[in-house]
Amino acid sequence: MFSSIIQALLNGLVSGTILAVPAIGFTAIFAVLRYPNFAIGSLATIGAYAGWFANLRLGWPLEASFGLAFLGAGIATLAAEWLAVRPLEKSGALMMAICSLAVGIVLENMVRFAFGNEPRGFNVPLMRDIRFGDLRISPQQVENFAVALLLMALLWAALNLTRMGRAMRATADNADLARLKGVQPGTVAAITVMVGGGLAGIGGMLVALDTAADPLTGFRLILSVFAAAVLGGLGSIPGAVLGALIIGMVEELTVLLLAPNYRTAIGFAVILIVLTVRPSGLFGERAG
Amino acid sequence: MSILSIDGLAGGYASADHIVKGVSMSADAGEMVAIIGPNGAGKSTALKLAAGLLRCTAGRVSVGGADITAATPQSVLAAGFVLVPQERNVFAALNIAENLAMGAFTTPALMRQRREAVYARLPLLAQRRGALARTLSGGQRQLLAMGIALMAQPKVLALDEPTAGLSPMAAAELFATIRALAKDGVAVLMVEQNAIEALGACDRGYVLVDGRVVREGSAGGIMADEDIRRLFLGGRKAQHAVATR
Repeated sequence: MFSSIIQALLNGLVSGTILAVPAIGFTAIFAVLRYPNFAIGSLATIGAYAGWFANLRLGWPLEASFGLAFLGAGIATLAAEWLAVRPLEKSGALMMAICSLAVGIVLENMVRFAFGNEPRGFNVPLMRDIRFGDLRISPQQVENFAVALLLMALLWAALNLTRMGRAMRATADNADLARLKGVQPGTVAAITVMVGGGLAGIGGMLVALDTAADPLTGFRLILSVFAAAVLGGLGSIPGAVLGALIIGMVEELTVLLLAPNYRTAIGFAVILIVLTVRPSGLFGERAG
Repeated sequence: MSILSIDGLAGGYASADHIVKGVSMSADAGEMVAIIGPNGAGKSTALKLAAGLLRCTAGRVSVGGADITAATPQSVLAAGFVLVPQERNVFAALNIAENLAMGAFTTPALMRQRREAVYARLPLLAQRRGALARTLSGGQRQLLAMGIALMAQPKVLALDEPTAGLSPMAAAELFATIRALAKDGVAVLMVEQNAIEALGACDRGYVLVDGRVVREGSAGGIMADEDIRRLFLGGRKAQHAVATR
């Protein structure tokens, strides 16, 4: 039993780290634009398919395919933001959130129309699992884990060591003052949307690498992504990472006790508990 | 010629709003000017209109001869007009060094040099440069807000109730800092709820009522005005302030 728990925690660490990538994208968009973009699931699906297209159809290596996953999902997010969500800005965050749900449905069905419903696997070699005593982990999981960590390190550097990153954090914290200091809100919003959507895309591709890309790849993620962001505190990037790690581990541990079908209930349970006990999440304020 | 010139400024929070109804003011380099008046008189709105945060429906604002009426925040900053809002005037989630860097967002090449100059002027900020702004006390936050403003090397510093919520000691320290800035040639335009304190610290003053300037002149002259004293300053206290100036 003990080794099963350690194995579940290891799996949870990997899946939580991967989940953190789209959760960061979701929370970053919320921090700057002040509405929850529920299209993030379908954007993850677009990233998964863009990566698959680059890898399978164009024959690109995985490293370059991640680039197309980022760009494809980022551009789709930007287009959806400009064409559908932004025109509703004056109607308030609720209308924008509802609109993003509709955008998600449209995007998901566009993917179905373009690529069909059958799962699409990546061109990755079959390899034996790596074993440490009773514990085992697949080389693909290790690679995905490393990619997610690298991405988070890059994002941290971009947000903390660059002028535009600082402007993004400043805008998320105090948009009026940022504008007064000469930050152009439109530019910051566009970069945030592009990066947030791009991260969702890479998150989708990481999940698809472990299993396969299908039109519901992102839909299966959305509840966990939202739960991670709510748990960490909406708008807080460190909170999203911690929230994703906790959700990932709790989901894996639950499988030890309940049938895997109940795994999705974890997200609902976490959201319910957080909203009841600590509505602002673990990291409280909407810090960047 | 005044460094700041505001002529017939009008406007409010929406295009139909007329909170400020044709206000004219001026400030010379190195001069401290107080704007006082009852709640809802349009004092803060006038500053926001001048800074381009709200759209004015009439009037003209110029700094050093450059017209900044309805200009973008970047142009307003470039002209040397810097507004320090009353609330949420620092980036709470950023540390002091990052807050100061945001003050020079439009002039990144000069950021480090200016930040060192601000540290030299406000040593407390240098001592706590790595501290998050949200961990600072009220007085320290106002000092940081001042530091952020100084990063833009203002010709005109517009302060919206800088001592609101501060202890008397913190307020006195802040006034001393503001006076030092004015001595260095910065024109200071200050909205203050505490009219006695403001007029005690400033050279001139404007009294706003219902969006209009109803009285202007030297700070001492305003404090000595019987009507103004009765309405806003509270009799004896004002007389005492005049006497001790």
